[in-house]
Amino acid sequence: MVLEVRNLSVTYQAEGAPVRALQEISFSLKEGDTLGIIGESGSGKTTLGLALMGLIGGKDRVEGNAYFRGTEFLSFSDKGKKALRWKHIAMVFQNSLEVLNPVLNIGEQVGEPLKKHLYLKGKELEARVEELFQLVGLDPQWKEAFPHQLSGGMRQRVLIAMALSCKPELLLVDEPTTSLDPVSRKEMIELLGRLQQEYGFTLVVISHDLSCISRLTSRLLALYGGRVVEEGLTEELLEDPFHPYSRGLINSSPHYFAYKDLWGIPGEPPTGQEAGCSFHSRCSQALESCREGVPALQQVCCERRVACHRGGIVTILEASGLKKEYRLKKRVLQAVNGVDLYIKEGEVAALVGETGSGKSTVAQMLGRLMKPTAGDITFRGEKFYNGVTRQENGIQIVMQDPFSSTSHRLTVEQVLREPLDINKIGTSQERSSRVREALEQVQLPWGTDFLKRFCFELSGGQRQRVAIARALVMKPALLLADEITSMLDPSTQANLLRLLKGLQNSKGFAMLFITHDLELARKVADRVMVMKQGEIVETGSSRRLFTDPCCCHTKELIDAAFGEHQHVHKSHHHPHTHEHVHKHKTQH
Amino acid sequence: MYQSQVMNPRLLLRVPGELYKKGIAFWKSLSIFGKFGLTVILAMIILAVGAPFFTWLPHNVSSGPALVPPGGDHLMGTDEMGVDLWSQICYGARVSLLVGLGTALLAGLGGGIIGIWAGYRGGWIERVIMRLIDIMIVLPDLPIMVILAAFFGSSLRNIIIVLALFSWSHPARIIRAQVLSLKEQGYIKMAKSYGAGDLYIIFKHFLPELFPILAVSMIRLSGMAIVTEAALSFLGLGDPTSKSWGLIINHALNFSGIYFTPFWKWWLMYPWAFLTLLITSLALFGRDLERIADPRVVKRN
Repeated sequence: MVLEVRNLSVTYQAEGAPVRALQEISFSLKEGDTLGIIGESGSGKTTLGLALMGLIGGKDRVEGNAYFRGTEFLSFSDKGKKALRWKHIAMVFQNSLEVLNPVLNIGEQVGEPLKKHLYLKGKELEARVEELFQLVGLDPQWKEAFPHQLSGGMRQRVLIAMALSCKPELLLVDEPTTSLDPVSRKEMIELLGRLQQEYGFTLVVISHDLSCISRLTSRLLALYGGRVVEEGLTEELLEDPFHPYSRGLINSSPHYFAYKDLWGIPGEPPTGQEAGCSFHSRCSQALESCREGVPALQQVCCERRVACHRGGIVTILEASGLKKEYRLKKRVLQAVNGVDLYIKEGEVAALVGETGSGKSTVAQMLGRLMKPTAGDITFRGEKFYNGVTRQENGIQIVMQDPFSSTSHRLTVEQVLREPLDINKIGTSQERSSRVREALEQVQLPWGTDFLKRFCFELSGGQRQRVAIARALVMKPALLLADEITSMLDPSTQANLLRLLKGLQNSKGFAMLFITHDLELARKVADRVMVMKQGEIVETGSSRRLFTDPCCCHTKELIDAAFGEHQHVHKSHHHPHTHEHVHKHKTQH
Repeated sequence: MYQSQVMNPRLLLRVPGELYKKGIAFWKSLSIFGKFGLTVILAMIILAVGAPFFTWLPHNVSSGPALVPPGGDHLMGTDEMGVDLWSQICYGARVSLLVGLGTALLAGLGGGIIGIWAGYRGGWIERVIMRLIDIMIVLPDLPIMVILAAFFGSSLRNIIIVLALFSWSHPARIIRAQVLSLKEQGYIKMAKSYGAGDLYIIFKHFLPELFPILAVSMIRLSGMAIVTEAALSFLGLGDPTSKSWGLIINHALNFSGIYFTPFWKWWLMYPWAFLTLLITSLALFGRDLERIADPRVVKRN
């Protein structure tokens, strides 16, 4: 073990109340391991780096143990820590002017640790500094320059050169790519990757930039409020996050999958005062019981640990062997032929495929508008029952054609109240206020004139919003959106989609987005399922599926939609973590 | 919602005002023919209901010399018994309208219910009903009606029942077809998925949607019924105690050699004119109603 951290906690003694920046962090790194640490600002990423460097002291308390090659070093005296620093554990600080001394030229600054720790002098020192400059791709003639004369990318290289000067065994890199332009960013990632492979040091990368993390590291920690909420292999975790927070981080990352629309995690970062799970107020699947007790980091499957009272993102709906047959006169038409699918809490899953591939039939069966010929569906772990569409926190469906799904003869209010009236939910006032609330959510006027308007007076876009509002009135946990924008013009479609995705993000319901439009799916979906002739042929995260499809039908679809096939070849091949279903169709 | 509306007295006062407004809007949406038709129908109804006020002469006993031409005491002359023709037409309007309305209501509502049932339930019930309707359509109604009328005796009630028995198939067919297409509408499916019962769907969604179509069909039925009753009466199978317009024509034609006399000019012409006027008006109004049966049209005007 190069590094082993056990129950590391850091408390800053701020004015007034102490701030717990890190709470009981444990992890270990073997020789040559690479670890990524992700999290929002204030989640304790940098504090972790500083604590490992032994740079937190004075009034601020550091508790727990950290072992470097078996020796506990947090309890070392300042002198002992200094001996360890730079020589064994080094850190590339976050790039800014302040980290470098403005009155020393950079050659001297890079040489400083060499002088101090390796006691190099004169020619030897000069040579080593030049060597380091070349190593990080910096012209040695820049030695004489002062920090303010360098560009951001060059400064970052200087910082790396400094950190590598004494050939440390453990390198901590804090935000290596922030404030760099795309070219320098790419170069920096390549540089770090190359150096790590050459020197074989153990690397810890602290970053917001998930593409940097995914390129440089093989394991990943997600920090939230000073705690590790998820830990796993980088590829797997980014492909299929188990904690809602990790999923939120991935969804808000612009670098990771560029085509997807950006949506941040709603709500404010934790204050440290929360009872129970600190993420519960922002979580899409929080229960009352999440307020009790801090969840422990638990193994969920091999190499994956999650700190969640619910054991990670819950699967809300699961269907297996779903079939729909239509009996025509002589032959049996298989509209849906054995579909297995699942939808997780708070995710947007897209079901794509050509027209006639059975997408809508699946949606109608899941929305209980149609009875499946065969197959089991479970919702929240229970067998499907009539009530799922009649209760709050159930399933709601929005259909393709708003002109058919809302009666032209009824007023907006009558349409929206219908589910509440039929199921006798709430008092009359409560129903009215919920109707108004839902209209407000879909950005329609909610004054009395609008409530009394007849549906036939509304435009297609407005009527589709009314249909969405009707679904929202029931506060669904899963929304089935069946080609909801296919009858709308592009501008209305854009507005409606952003609105719906925004609602999904803030309310946290799960959504099955059914479309034949791959561009749209790529924009909104977290996970994509591809259907062909009544079967699901491929499923995977939208990033993986759109950049690296493995089923030929998916490739065909993507080729047709995006012109040319954008296959991204990766230098290090990773095992596909997706399922690839390929059943042989039985002919009827 | 309904509760709170009933409890609010201001809303109760608003109802007649709104009805009036709706009435005006409806009137404005009619074409000139529709307006004419509606006026005539309303006039006929007033004439039938207020028959004693429009004529002072009895309609069943002689009130003057026989076969007097129009003019003087007898607005439209008298028949061979000396009974005033205007009185006969006024009271005859009651019979004709009663037959028309009764048949239309009976056949329209009955057929409507059967149609909804068949369309909504589907399955073997629907198949049986559809075959029955097919049979009803191919049966020649008039000959059978003649037999039935002769068999059951020709009271007014029997005539209405027989007429209704032969005309329910038309509305039932139309309503079933409409229900079949309505059933596939998204909002009906949605209502069902929200757990709406059959009665809720029928009353809240089907009936308002079907009513205009049913109304059109009923107006057509009433026209048809009036003509058929006249035809039966003309054939001598009408209720002899009720002086319907058809019976007047029957009497007139039974007067041997009527065409050789000038009597037909009033005895035959007046009941014929009224009958034709009423039927034409019903047809015109029905046609207009059909045009605006779609509520969207009314609203737009």
